[in-house]
Amino acid sequence: MAPEATLSPASLDERVLSAAERKPPAAWWLALAAAASCMSLGFALMAYTLYMGIGAWGNNRPVVWAFDIINFVFWIGIGHAGTLISAILLLFRARWRNAISRTAEAMTLFAVVCAGLFPLIHLGRPWINFWLFPYPNQRGLWPNFRSPLIWDVFAVSTYFSVSLLFWYLGLVPDIASMRERARPGLRKLVLTVLSLGWRGEASHWRHYEKAYLLLAGLATGLVLSVHSVVSFDFAVSLVPGWHMTIFPPYFVAGAIFSGFAMVVLVLSVVRRTMRLEDIITPHHLEMMNKVILATSCLMAYSYLVEGFTAWYSMNPYLHHIFKQYLWGTYGWTGWTAIFCNCLIPQLFWSSRLRRSAPVMLFVAVAVLIGMWFERFVIIVISLHQDFLPSSWHLYEPTLVDYGILLGSFGLFFTLVLLFARLLPVIATTEMKAHLPREDAHA
Amino acid sequence: MLKRPAAVLGLFESPRALLSAIELLRARGRWSLEAYTPYPVPGAEAALGLKRSPLAAMVLIMGSLGALTAYLFQWWMNSVDYPIVVGGKPVDAWQAYVPVLFEVTVLFAAFTAGLGMLLLLNRLPDFRHPLLSSKSAAALTRDKFGLALEPAEGPFDAGAAEAALREVGAEAVEVLNQPAPPAPVKPRTLLLLAAGGALACLAAGLGTYWTLKLFPALPPMSHMLEHPKLVPQKPSAFFKDGRGMQAGVPGTMARGRLPYPCKTEACASRLANPLPRAAEVLRKGRKAFDTSCAVCHGALANGRPLLSEAYGAKPADLQSSRFLSMEDGRIYHTLMTGKSAMPSFASSLTDDERWSLAHYLRALQRAQHAEDEDLR
Repeated sequence: MAPEATLSPASLDERVLSAAERKPPAAWWLALAAAASCMSLGFALMAYTLYMGIGAWGNNRPVVWAFDIINFVFWIGIGHAGTLISAILLLFRARWRNAISRTAEAMTLFAVVCAGLFPLIHLGRPWINFWLFPYPNQRGLWPNFRSPLIWDVFAVSTYFSVSLLFWYLGLVPDIASMRERARPGLRKLVLTVLSLGWRGEASHWRHYEKAYLLLAGLATGLVLSVHSVVSFDFAVSLVPGWHMTIFPPYFVAGAIFSGFAMVVLVLSVVRRTMRLEDIITPHHLEMMNKVILATSCLMAYSYLVEGFTAWYSMNPYLHHIFKQYLWGTYGWTGWTAIFCNCLIPQLFWSSRLRRSAPVMLFVAVAVLIGMWFERFVIIVISLHQDFLPSSWHLYEPTLVDYGILLGSFGLFFTLVLLFARLLPVIATTEMKAHLPREDAHA
Repeated sequence: MLKRPAAVLGLFESPRALLSAIELLRARGRWSLEAYTPYPVPGAEAALGLKRSPLAAMVLIMGSLGALTAYLFQWWMNSVDYPIVVGGKPVDAWQAYVPVLFEVTVLFAAFTAGLGMLLLLNRLPDFRHPLLSSKSAAALTRDKFGLALEPAEGPFDAGAAEAALREVGAEAVEVLNQPAPPAPVKPRTLLLLAAGGALACLAAGLGTYWTLKLFPALPPMSHMLEHPKLVPQKPSAFFKDGRGMQAGVPGTMARGRLPYPCKTEACASRLANPLPRAAEVLRKGRKAFDTSCAVCHGALANGRPLLSEAYGAKPADLQSSRFLSMEDGRIYHTLMTGKSAMPSFASSLTDDERWSLAHYLRALQRAQHAEDEDLR
């Protein structure tokens, strides 16, 4: 690529690693203040929920899953883009991933943190969350491993720990570079410990590269399994609209779709504010927009197949609930999901629009909104009219629900902002290995 | 302390220069070589003659172990130790164990790959390596390529190594010194450490104890205990009479109970035992007798239980002639109303149990007064 040709390893280090050495600009502080305020509001409302019980939310029979599980599925989905970029694209040797992989991986972690909070607070009594794990106890009880909810506990906790490990492993050589740049002091001490004294020995690199490749292979299977398991939470049940065999692939595609939208959103802001336009180039953004376009078409296809399956089943309950998706009380959410997920990304067929910053921001935000509403459709509409008409009930979220949703965005962006200032937002080691050199070796 | 050279480090401009230097110096065979690069250089492993990383085999073994562990713990917990039937499936259906099996396999394999590489194969963290204190460390993690010569055997001639490195094109050469051996730990430090450790253990122990003791009693954890509920034998504002326990609604009976019409023994003696003298009934009667009667009347109903000495009362000898000729209905009546020190069993035994008891008592009496006829 032409812009990368002007980069040298030294200038890359100088540009990327120095961000953590400078004083942050006022805009960063402003953004952090805004994000942290939302986060604090969210945490305060979570504390209120813990004290009052989850009656503080709008959930009530039969809509016992609502904002909490919508937000959980939404955030877990956001995380999937990072693993896809760091693992699957690595295996495919898609080199354009190098510039964006670090930030995308970090976003995976932060999104999983946000996601993990929701099932935890939905427990109502999260201080006994350890009941979810198999541990010997005097009651002689074990968790039920035939329940998708337990699969979920294992899938999400494995996903978080493996993503953290993968991210940290990539960071080690970069932290070593930062350590060598740091003046003696506390910062240097912390970086030394975090880098484990990494010294770039050839015999270390040999194991390191192998480990990275193996982890990429493992993470590929993992990322496909995690959202499949999340979809089992629904598909294994008998609720009309949930009990569908298409759910696992449909959820994975949706996860990647929304995840890429979030990556595009964050990266187009990061590259502008941190002046990394020649490292994270329009080419990178365009590649991501192509993935968004492809997954958008997959989503449209999934919606069609889902609708066809429902119609073809000749099951009156399924027919009824699918009518509710578009023409019921909450029908507008179904149309929002279709409009934002299937129609708006079609703008990306034009290469001019794919490379236009305002257009991609618009599409990314639309996709995030659309995917959130898609989960609303799946969860709330399917639940609010169950088999027994006497228990039908309209769901209405409370202010606490909205506040916690806002809080999760606050938490996510607080973490992203801290990451952007404290750690290298570009995987410099990986970039250096692929920079063109005058004396390029064979 | 005198510094001993551990290695001589030469810096090179590019990977290609590094690789050709490795090739030239390896041919001389006097040194063992180690390269330091800011990123993995393709070809460096082969040039240095490094063996293939055993990591893949480690990951395979640990991943398989993870799969086995996950399968066995799920199977043991849900099929053996606490079998739960879900959806009418067999308790040992393995299909439901697959998702967790997969996740645990990945967990084991990934942590072997990551931590096995860092901690076992690369022996990190290592903060005392001579390279970390060298002047070239910054350049080596940025854009320079280092080659360190260490003595393959025998005494180390740093001068010769320096010359050799310059000869193959190193642009800068630096002698890396052996790290100073760690200073011996003073007894006072050791004592302080031990005391600190003991204090930390104590604080953690007490902290855990008090947390576990106090935590459930604090709101909101205690909300589950404090919710409005009825407690028998305790007052309650819920009912008009202020009692938690309420008498039955007049004119109704509890399930499994029948209204009892007799006020006198004479009336009761006319009641017939509604149950047949069957093995099932006798078994039920025996269980009720052993539970409710044997403590006082003795297991053989002879009024001589093990405990009678201890509490003074004189329970009736049910083997005496008065009881041998007593009608089932009167035995039933005594159980309903109680007699002298014996309490009523109207609420603690069911109707069937009381009638079964009468049958079982007959069996006990017959056993203690067996006739020759019975032995035949």
